[in-house]
Amino acid sequence: MKDTFNNVVIYNGYPLSVAVAVTFHSAILALLLFLQSSRSADVMELVQPTVVKALLVQENPQVANERVRLERQQQQQQQRVREQEQAQRAAEAERQRQEQAQAEEQARAEEQRKARELASLRQRQEKERMDAEQLQREQEARAEEQRRQRELAEAQRQQEVRDRERQREREAADAAAAELASSEFEMVQSGTALIQQLVQESWSRPPSARNGMRAILQMRLLPTGELVDVSVTQSSGDPAFDRSAENAVYGAAPFRELQALPINVFNENFRSLSLIFEPEDLLN
Amino acid sequence: MNEGITPTLLILEASLPVQLVLLTLLGLSIVSWVMIFQRWMVLSTALNGVISFENRFWSGMDLSQLYKEGSQMQKENIPAVGMENIFRAGFKEFMRLRQQPSMDKEAIMEGAQRAMRVAYSREEEKLEKHLPFLATVASVSVYIGLFGTVIGIMNSFIGLASQAQVTMQVIAPDIAEALIATAMGLFVAIPAVVVYNRYSATVDNITSSYVTFTDEFSSILHRQIHSD
Repeated sequence: MKDTFNNVVIYNGYPLSVAVAVTFHSAILALLLFLQSSRSADVMELVQPTVVKALLVQENPQVANERVRLERQQQQQQQRVREQEQAQRAAEAERQRQEQAQAEEQARAEEQRKARELASLRQRQEKERMDAEQLQREQEARAEEQRRQRELAEAQRQQEVRDRERQREREAADAAAAELASSEFEMVQSGTALIQQLVQESWSRPPSARNGMRAILQMRLLPTGELVDVSVTQSSGDPAFDRSAENAVYGAAPFRELQALPINVFNENFRSLSLIFEPEDLLN
Repeated sequence: MNEGITPTLLILEASLPVQLVLLTLLGLSIVSWVMIFQRWMVLSTALNGVISFENRFWSGMDLSQLYKEGSQMQKENIPAVGMENIFRAGFKEFMRLRQQPSMDKEAIMEGAQRAMRVAYSREEEKLEKHLPFLATVASVSVYIGLFGTVIGIMNSFIGLASQAQVTMQVIAPDIAEALIATAMGLFVAIPAVVVYNRYSATVDNITSSYVTFTDEFSSILHRQIHSD
């Protein structure tokens, strides 16, 4: 034991060294990655308080109505499809039941007929033969019945498969819609962030501004990004503060980047929006 | 807004030359750390060997007894360490020459010293192996890192030439990417420099104790040969 250890240590410590060195490097890498991930979390916490917030105001009634109408239409359509499916299923079940009843009726009639024939027959041997025949026929009838049942089960299974497929299609459509909505949400987010940043950069606060003051301005925009007008909807109580906020919006306009947005996204979200001016980073 | 920029992303999205430089540096770093650990084991066993052998040597033990013990150990496949090798080479040569009747005393001493010198230079070679590599890594990896940085900054300026408006957001990622190469070079070079200096001092230490031992041992042999 000892001599092998000595051999390893003195003459070829290489495998051990390689293992140690590689472990050392991977440990450093892992540490760096870990520190990096925890640091980015810290950065998120240290974000400066926002002094201007953009609030989206849904002001375009046309768009809202349109959306409601579309939703209702969609719901109705779904409802109709569901009802149709149910009716179809019910009809099919009814038909199957009728078929079965008919078959039973037939079988019973045949049996009666056979019984009558049997009665009319005089010779016993013949009767026995007839009995045998009947037995055979009954067996055939039973086989027929089994076959029909099997077919029925098959049909049911196929129906189930079709149902499942339809379900999957519906789910895929839902997912696509959700994705569209999320990309729209992202666009809206980046748009509001941009407006917020531009306005904040061009805002020079008056000396009378204090933490906790709050003014709400409403601005209306054109799809080109140009500003139509700005009005103070809620004053801070300090005219100089209100005026500086207004000037900030005028200074930041036009918001040319909004041109890149699809027109329906713009109409729904950016035609009119409220900006809250609320300094939170002042020292006094 | 620039929260997307992290060192990992920068490295993954760096241009090819910078990535090659980083890979080279990573390889150099791994190899140099292999050398560092391997040398550490060799040097520490050599140091321990010096101490334990000197203890045994000066314990008043008979020299031929010591030699026999060493032979026994070698039979058991435990290799002799540093100073013991020098002792064994000198003593073996001394005994062999002394058994020849027509040998002059000075010639015997000369032969024993020569054998010890050979063993000494062999031991020194063993100790100094790989140290030049560490020295090379220490001095070169900084330059390799700088090379990567220069290439990266050059690329970023070539990219800037085609842009009308240059903002900090455009320049910053490229320069950060370029600077990673220098950081990596320093990361490789610093341990190599420190370890090289430290290990060469240790090697000097050990070899000087070998030299001292050689002198002491030859004086002992000298005394022995003249006392007969």
